[in-house]
Formats: sequence, C-alpha cells, structure tokens
Amino acid sequence: MALASRFTKPVIVDEISTPICISCKRSIPPYEKAVAFLCPNCGKYVIWRCRRCRVAGVPYRCPVCGFEGP
Amino acid sequence: MSSYDYEGSEEVKQESSMIAKYAAVELLVPIDMYLSAGVHIGTYSSNKYIEKYVFRVRNDGLYILDVRKIDERIRVAARFIARYEPQKVVAVGGKPYSFRPVEMFARFTGAKAVLGRFIPGTFTNPYLTTYVEPEIVIISDPRVDTQALTEAIEMGIPTVAFVSTDTKPSGIDLIIPGNNKGRKSLALLYYLLTRQVLRERGLLAPNQDLGVSVEEFETKLTTVV
Repeated sequence: MALASRFTKPVIVDEISTPICISCKRSIPPYEKAVAFLCPNCGKYVIWRCRRCRVAGVPYRCPVCGFEGP
Repeated sequence: MSSYDYEGSEEVKQESSMIAKYAAVELLVPIDMYLSAGVHIGTYSSNKYIEKYVFRVRNDGLYILDVRKIDERIRVAARFIARYEPQKVVAVGGKPYSFRPVEMFARFTGAKAVLGRFIPGTFTNPYLTTYVEPEIVIISDPRVDTQALTEAIEMGIPTVAFVSTDTKPSGIDLIIPGNNKGRKSLALLYYLLTRQVLRERGLLAPNQDLGVSVEEFETKLTTVV
C-alpha cells in the first residue's frame, strides 16, 4: 500500500516558471532559443517571443503602451 | 499630352498630396529630403506583413511606403538601440551600398560593423577569431544578410532590420520600413538612425545635428576606366 502511494503521488523536486510567448501565449521551454527584449517603444515590459512566432513573423503587442511589432 | 506626361502629372499630384498631408507632422528631416533620397520607394511586389507600411500603389505597380511610418519607426528603433551598450551592438551590411553607411553608423555610435561577407559562425562559434557576442543586431537587408539573421535567430539575439516591401519579416523583432536598395536612401536611413541614437543616449541635444552631412554617409561612386 505504501509502495503504491509512493508511485501515485509524484514528488516535486524543483519548480521553474517558464516565460510565456507574447504572440501565441504558450510557455517557452528552457531549451528553446527564444528572444527576450524590453518593449522597443516604452521599455517597461519584457517581451518574450518563441522561436516559431519569431520565424513566422507573428505580430506582438506591448500590453503597457500598445506598441505593435515587429 | 502623351501618356508619359499624364503619368508624370499624376505622380506630382500624389506626391504633393503626401506633402500636404504630412505638413503638420514634425518629421526628423523635411519630407522633401525623404522624397529626394527615395526612402519611400518600395518594389513591385509586396506581402501581407508590410501592407500596413504601404502608402499606396502606383499605376505601374510600384509600392510606395508611408514616410510618416518610416520616421516613427526610426525613432522607436533608436530608442531601442540606445538601451544597449554601444559595444554590444552589431550592424551588418552585406551590400556594397551599405558599407559606408554602416561604417559611419559604427564610428559615431561605437557599435561594431560587419561589412561584406558574413563569416558563418561569427555569432555561434567561439573558436573563430571573428566571434562576437552581440546583444542586438542591425541588419541592412534581410534578403542579403541571411546568414547573420539565421545566426541571430539561433542565438536568440534581438534584430532590427531595414525592410522593403518585398521582404518577409522572418526572424526580425523590429522592422524599419524603407528602401534598402538605394545608395542615397541607405545613407539617409543610417544617418537618421545614428543621429537619433546619439540623441537618445544624451550625447546630442534634442535638436542638435551630427557634425557631418548625409553625403558623408553615402557610398562614393567610382568610375572604372
């Protein structure tokens, strides 16, 4: 019984928070070569773009100033 | 009146309407300077991504870019570039017409210029003597400087690029619309970017000019005998 509970409840060793792509709203895994930069217009918000959105040229919008890129 | 004359008069009418429309808007340089350098001249093809920067399509199918949007984007790009340390900025120019503008930009702003052939691995291979680790890359023409763009994507480096109407903004984080093929156009675009970057950094007063003229940014034409 004890063995079964050990396997049913996974133990969280460490927790990480992954950044979210501003265009597709998906989390960016740590191994992905995404890009992060401050909003070109206001510089108050860190914009993360995943590789896929970047290559496809998906537009992004700064939530602080409303700047639309690329 | 010939058809050519008629076309010409239409062009004059359209350009004067553009001048009248933007007379109230304060631009970085007078609109005549933009028009004489041909910054607004696009190509005969366009795509969906660049549509919002297009002012109109001429009768012969040539796309004309919006000068006001070019001006606005130069300001935004300068603000963006000025946030980074000068040594961490790399400007790439693969075309002969962009050699001199990129060189002058690097000289004034303290950035690093990569001219001519972009050696593969410059951003990715630490064993190369030409290896650099930039924090931002400025690309003169994404269709020519493809290697630099690919490596910037691979390394996750933000990119700013001069984009004409025929270019897809793949891998670019900030577009500066403009004619990236003309000698005078590239000179004016880089001149304005340089001046605005220095203004944003506080090295120039808000209305101060660079010590040199736009002609200094132009690649000189040489006659081959």
